[in-house]
Amino acid sequence: MERMIIFCMLFFCSSMALTAAPHKIAKYKQLLKTITRLETTVKDKDVELLHTPENPADGCLFTAVTCFHKGTLKLQPENNQVHSTFTQTIKVLRRFTISDPGKHCESSCESYEKKTPKEFLKSFAKLIKQVIR
Amino acid sequence: MAVPGTFLTPILLLVCGLSPCLAAAHSPPGVECVLFNEEYMTCTWGSRETLTANYSLYYWYENRSPVVECKHYLQDQGISVGCHFNQSEIIQFQSFRVLVNASLGGRTLEIPSERMELQDLVKPEAPVNLTIRNTSSNQLELTWNSPYPKAHCLEHAVKYKSNKDTSWTEHRVKGDIFSFPSVDYEKYYTFYVRSKINSYCGNTQLWSEWSVPVVWGSNSTSKDAAEEQLHWFWIHTVLIPVASCLLLLVLVVLLVRMERVWVILMPRIPNPSKNFDELFITHNGNFQEWAGVPKDVMESFKPNYSENICYVSELPPKDMYEPLWENSNY
Repeated sequence: MERMIIFCMLFFCSSMALTAAPHKIAKYKQLLKTITRLETTVKDKDVELLHTPENPADGCLFTAVTCFHKGTLKLQPENNQVHSTFTQTIKVLRRFTISDPGKHCESSCESYEKKTPKEFLKSFAKLIKQVIR
Repeated sequence: MAVPGTFLTPILLLVCGLSPCLAAAHSPPGVECVLFNEEYMTCTWGSRETLTANYSLYYWYENRSPVVECKHYLQDQGISVGCHFNQSEIIQFQSFRVLVNASLGGRTLEIPSERMELQDLVKPEAPVNLTIRNTSSNQLELTWNSPYPKAHCLEHAVKYKSNKDTSWTEHRVKGDIFSFPSVDYEKYYTFYVRSKINSYCGNTQLWSEWSVPVVWGSNSTSKDAAEEQLHWFWIHTVLIPVASCLLLLVLVVLLVRMERVWVILMPRIPNPSKNFDELFITHNGNFQEWAGVPKDVMESFKPNYSENICYVSELPPKDMYEPLWENSNY
């Protein structure tokens, strides 16, 4: 009887976790706006190329986000004029976290192709849109 | 080596000439795919008028699935003009590639297309159940439902017009409600709504079709309104000016012909000089004669005695001489 109750509770909690709550959607929308703003301030030429996850499988969402997080550390502002906007935007971006679902992903960050910062951010935006959907 | 070259060149030219000919005359303009409400997708590459060859479509998702031929072609008078995809064949957020083979008379031409992101090609269905509610103080609230499952991914546009406007007014709306601020109760309004995937869920410019319209207001039919307008036109433009002119004319005639009326409107300024005509002309300025003073009264004023003139002079007072006398001594 107790096992039954515990199992039901676990089932209920996991089903709740699967659906994104409305405040989470607002969080992702805010993140998307931040990425779009960053695209205009980031330096695209003569910079290091970044590993860009493309179309990750469902189980690899966490890995992909971690990969994007690592990549944002290497981004640079285009010029001094946009430096403050860039710094503020990067701070917001780095505060974004996603919980580890514990699923095993076969692809690692380094397995993804390297692309320019603007394409990197476009792919990041695409990933967030996928999450919002 | 020049001789085979001379033979080779025309052959090359012929072959090179033919394939663009095949391509140009029969090439599809490009494959266009649209996902209708995320339920099914159609990819088309032309119409009956532009296509003459036999077409077959192959598709795959990059790094995902093997190359598969289209299972359900769209036909137009015997020519394949497109392909229909079921919901199970559609995977969004995966790069979608399409290859169209054109074959004519045993020769085949491959026409590849660019990589497509299907989430950017979604066309939602038009909104339904448009309802208007009358809120307080001359405000209207328009609400609707969308058949598209994810409401947070949609943005909408409302267009409306009254029966007195000449052009439509369009507004972008984020939610499912549109508030129309100041409504005129004598006008007749028509509203349409359409939807699009917003920038949070995709990157598309594909608007849905306009919904079935909803109307609001007093529908005095156009016929009555036109008649009423004509009626008012006759009154304002013809009857009132003519009546006013006639009235003016009557008044003028009255004024001129009837001196009684003229005198009331334009009274004479009194001229007293005429009253004194008798005095100045008849009696030569003799007031007493004109006034009718009796003769014996006039006589009584004349004196009946004579009087001598008595000259009077004044002597100055005595004390005035003494100071003069005292002063002259010194």
